[in-house]
Amino acid sequence: MSQKKLAFIFPPFASDYPDDPFVNLTGFDDCFRKYLSRAAEFADPDLIQFEIRSNTFLNDELKTQYISYIQACSLVLWFRQKGVVPAYCSGYSMGIYAALFQAEVISFLDGLVLIRQAFKEIKKVINNQGFGMCTIIGLNLDDLEQLILKEKLNLKLAIQNSVCSYSISGTADDILKMTESSQKEGALNTRILNVSVPYHSVFLKDTVTGFTEFVNQMQFRSPKMPIVSLIDQEILLDEQALKNEAVRNLFTPLNWYETQLYLQELGVSRFVECGSGKGIVKNARFIEGDGVFFTANAYTALLDTK
Amino acid sequence: MALITENTRKEVTEVVYNFFADECEVDIKDIHAGTNIINDIDGDSLMFLELIEIFKKKYNLDIELKTIGKYSVKHPVQTIGQLIDMQLLIIEHENKLLELEK
Repeated sequence: MSQKKLAFIFPPFASDYPDDPFVNLTGFDDCFRKYLSRAAEFADPDLIQFEIRSNTFLNDELKTQYISYIQACSLVLWFRQKGVVPAYCSGYSMGIYAALFQAEVISFLDGLVLIRQAFKEIKKVINNQGFGMCTIIGLNLDDLEQLILKEKLNLKLAIQNSVCSYSISGTADDILKMTESSQKEGALNTRILNVSVPYHSVFLKDTVTGFTEFVNQMQFRSPKMPIVSLIDQEILLDEQALKNEAVRNLFTPLNWYETQLYLQELGVSRFVECGSGKGIVKNARFIEGDGVFFTANAYTALLDTK
Repeated sequence: MALITENTRKEVTEVVYNFFADECEVDIKDIHAGTNIINDIDGDSLMFLELIEIFKKKYNLDIELKTIGKYSVKHPVQTIGQLIDMQLLIIEHENKLLELEK
């Protein structure tokens, strides 16, 4: 008989800010401003100008990654101050750095260092070639693989989100062709993501040497809580496994669908999306099981009613 | 091919209205046939997909998502009323939905 447990899920970087995502979180802004100020001093002075309503840096991939990481770490701090600590955590895509912070494997500043270095290695490898990603909803794995083969597209499946939702990486031209072909094939929704990097695909395989060297000279601590891998759904319990995960995360396909199911098998019944969006919460409608997914706002409202 | 009765239409309408009121956190009284799903109540394509799954289970339908997708390309759904009409067509024709095009 499994116990009811809580998991924190750290999403990838934001693509928009539709509402005020932290409106119910009294005192959150203090946590956020504290980390924002440290990040501005350490990583990029422009960050201090971030405003969720007017200056979001959404057209700058690196700054957006920093901001999403800062928001996630601020949520970790804010929930910790309220005495909320999850049993498990997991980082979706570039949310991995916030998961490492949650489990106290790395410091806040080390997370910024990892983000910056990963981005540097990626840029070196893609060398200004046009890459991108898209999400396709409504076609299954076979349909997508056949389309890629039939149209001879230079694309790779990057993330499985559910049985009918996938993210794909590859050259920008082929990403565009894929969305058009998928619509003709009957996809209910296609979306080109606002990124210029083919994350979680073999196109980034050449980041392995440089990033491994960099990560290996960093100090990782033993995790204070289990982190579940999106690559193979293993529970990552030691420093070396976590270093390997940080490196593999850049060029290996992820399976969010299987990871959520596995967390439910481990007894997780509540998931909190620790970021500014609702993508993981929305996607959860297509996951089997009784797990309930919350935004940070919604989970806080639930806590406040108790 | 299922027979669509007034009762089916009533049942589908009720499910759709309740679903969007719940998912989009809006008062059910604010939803009507002309409500634009994306612009008025902040709905999305994942909700459409979830509704399809609900009706697939409810009416034990044999239909592939891509069949609905292909039909939607020519008959895009924007309002609650259009969505209800499409759900009724799906229930009535299932995988033969595209034959309506011929």
